[in-house]
Amino acid sequence: MADDLTLYHENTWCPGCGNFGLFNALKKAILTLEKKGLPRQKLIQTTGIGCHGKMSDYLALSGFATLHGRALAVAQGIKLANPELKIFSSVGDGDTIGEGLEHLIFAAKRNADITALVHNNGVYALTTGQVTPMSERGARGPSTPMGNPEDPLNALALMLEAGATFVARGYAGKVEHLADLIVRAIEHEGFSFVEILQPCVSFNNTYEKYNKSTEVMQEPPATYDDAVRAVKRRDKLPLGVFYEVKKKPYHLDVQGDRNPAMQRIPRDERIARVRKLLEI
Amino acid sequence: MEKDLFTFIVGGKAGEGVKKAGQAAASLFVDLGRHVFQADEYESLIKGGHNFSTVTTGIRQVTGTYLKADFVACLDKRSYELHKDHLAPGGILVYNSDALGPGNWKGAGLPLTSSAKKFPNPELKMGLGAVAALVAALGLERSDIMKLVKAEYARDLESNLLFALAVHELASPYIGKKFKLGRGEKKRPMLFGNQAITLGAYLGGLDIYFAYPMTPSSSALHYIAGKARELGVTVIHPESEIAVMNMAIGAAFTGARSMIGTAGGGFGLMVEALSMAGMAEAPVLALLSSRVGPSTGAATLHEQSDLKFALGAGHGEFPRIVASPGTVKEALFLSAELLDLAWKFQVPAILLTEKHLSESTMTLDLDPSEAAWSGPAMHAGGEYKRYRITDDGVTPLLFPPTKELNKWTSHMCDEVGLVSEDPGMITQMHEKFIRKGNAIREKLQTMHVVNTFGNEGPVIMTYGSTTMAVVEALRFSGRKARVVQPVYLEPFPEWAMGCQADERPIVVEQSSTGLFAKLVEDRLGVGPEAVIKKYDGRPFDPEELALSLKEVL
Repeated sequence: MADDLTLYHENTWCPGCGNFGLFNALKKAILTLEKKGLPRQKLIQTTGIGCHGKMSDYLALSGFATLHGRALAVAQGIKLANPELKIFSSVGDGDTIGEGLEHLIFAAKRNADITALVHNNGVYALTTGQVTPMSERGARGPSTPMGNPEDPLNALALMLEAGATFVARGYAGKVEHLADLIVRAIEHEGFSFVEILQPCVSFNNTYEKYNKSTEVMQEPPATYDDAVRAVKRRDKLPLGVFYEVKKKPYHLDVQGDRNPAMQRIPRDERIARVRKLLEI
Repeated sequence: MEKDLFTFIVGGKAGEGVKKAGQAAASLFVDLGRHVFQADEYESLIKGGHNFSTVTTGIRQVTGTYLKADFVACLDKRSYELHKDHLAPGGILVYNSDALGPGNWKGAGLPLTSSAKKFPNPELKMGLGAVAALVAALGLERSDIMKLVKAEYARDLESNLLFALAVHELASPYIGKKFKLGRGEKKRPMLFGNQAITLGAYLGGLDIYFAYPMTPSSSALHYIAGKARELGVTVIHPESEIAVMNMAIGAAFTGARSMIGTAGGGFGLMVEALSMAGMAEAPVLALLSSRVGPSTGAATLHEQSDLKFALGAGHGEFPRIVASPGTVKEALFLSAELLDLAWKFQVPAILLTEKHLSESTMTLDLDPSEAAWSGPAMHAGGEYKRYRITDDGVTPLLFPPTKELNKWTSHMCDEVGLVSEDPGMITQMHEKFIRKGNAIREKLQTMHVVNTFGNEGPVIMTYGSTTMAVVEALRFSGRKARVVQPVYLEPFPEWAMGCQADERPIVVEQSSTGLFAKLVEDRLGVGPEAVIKKYDGRPFDPEELALSLKEVL
């Protein structure tokens, strides 16, 4: 798709990769957000390491391509330093539910006003198909030739427990629906988490499985407990927003309306404050 | 007896207000217009372990505490056993007679525990008892006690006052007016190292401070968190040191001046992100305060064993700045200067210090307007490329929101910041970093980067807070030497060391393997004549160091 949100960099996702649907949904969401009054200059993307991370080479938004697992930590630093910006992190499942799990849990716990878009392909695709914390028991990969000996985590349930104030699931194969979820997640004030089911054609091709098992929820769960039950369903994989609640975001709690980057205290004022403090 | 240098030691259990007593004694001396140096030693415990605080005061600047004290106060039996031999000739020892019980103890016994019993929080009052006895020994008046208690012991003011006056009365017949301290020229501010470091960074432009608690850096976090509102700084204590460094780098992306504080173990967790700061060209100032290592080591004790770590941490090759202050005052100005350099060159800068400086308190003369101010080169307009190749390796900055694309990255990349594995591009990026390293070196050549004390005699090389002990030891012994202290350790200022090619220095440091001696030899090509090392977790005592120096000078 040639458009002003796509950069010149060569695209190296495998043909048919779930990331294409995801990328299209993200660009649609950005255009929608612009129409609704959020200019793209104020939208910042951070990425981790994995196939999802290539997004930062393809998407024409300012941002930071960070380390494996650390995109949410960098995003929180950006948000605290300049709360006027809206930050979303494109992250992988191994990336952010494995290596960077601490940041995910704490971002939810403190209700950091950022968005996590988790590309869940259930596999470390960029390093040739090892299992992730989201892989099914028994899944084979080069590091688990006898099959994955661990059960998968339920990231949505984990997020509900940790304190995320917006919890949703989308599917790379349902672009319109996913684009709408991304808009809502980014608009949400507080920590928003979107698990995005992303088939990996090379190592974990789940198109057929997800086409059958996903189901857009007609009604969102009415209560927190209903949301917990819905995210734990195994017969069907419900898509949509499970849980959304208003809560004061972290940056307002710790620094009020202050914007450290945009309202820097001038040098003379600092000198005066130190003189006063030390009585000199 | 009129004293110029005077040392006070108070020892007791954690929870008996020992550190507070040291602070109160220090402010008593400061009120007399004198200089002080106060150092605390404590175990990693809240209650029960042995703590002691030492304050040395002089009319002149004092750069270390002396082990031999003129006034020793022992609040419990262990303190008595540990400190009874630290008494200088003609000194006074007071002890808590309730804690020691009957026996043939030397010094003046004061029933502190029973005197405190009738008041609330009697345990916390033990330290105050030591201070009240000191006041008696110095021949100060009741009014001085009232002033001191009001300033330093305002919680439970009334009972503290009654208790202090009672101890003063008990002590006076035995030790009253034993010493007289001359007045100094003026009352000076008194700062501890970590306080100076955070205030220095603030003066240099600090907007947001990230840290996870770890001794001996925690007091920087606590101090700046306590002053956050008053100063206008955001202070964040997140889930781990990994988060700390990554958040600080994220904050730098917005233009906010960010800083982190940690000790060796925490720095270990930050190393991957430190390397990202190198690659992404993210300016970040790191306070690295050393304690005894390796690993958990000895959490609350002093060592200079992280030198090589600070110089080499991080995979891959990238320019960095490492500097270590010799005094609390130098720490303040160095902190501002490093923040400025970090932003000028868009590199990580490490302020390497140690427990002894971080947590020791010194009087100083201070003009905050002399601190550096961080002013990075900004993009002047037109097309923007975050990693544009430039002559000095520095690409001007631009902060969001902007309509220009601004991509920061941990990857080898093209000038825009998109991943590139092109051989030419990788070569160019490496060379950009090399040119930047050279530009930093050229900049340092225009700055004051090496301190020299004395101008005749053999050369002694040292760095960090050990400098203070060396200078104090020479003053104490009256020996002549030329002390050379490189404040900057990376880039290493060979040009400013002022040594003859064949001059073999004496090196003094607190590491077991001689890390600094090896650095000096590597950079100057001359091995040391002798290395005086100390690695028992305690800073050099000036008197002890004077003896060691006598053997080699």
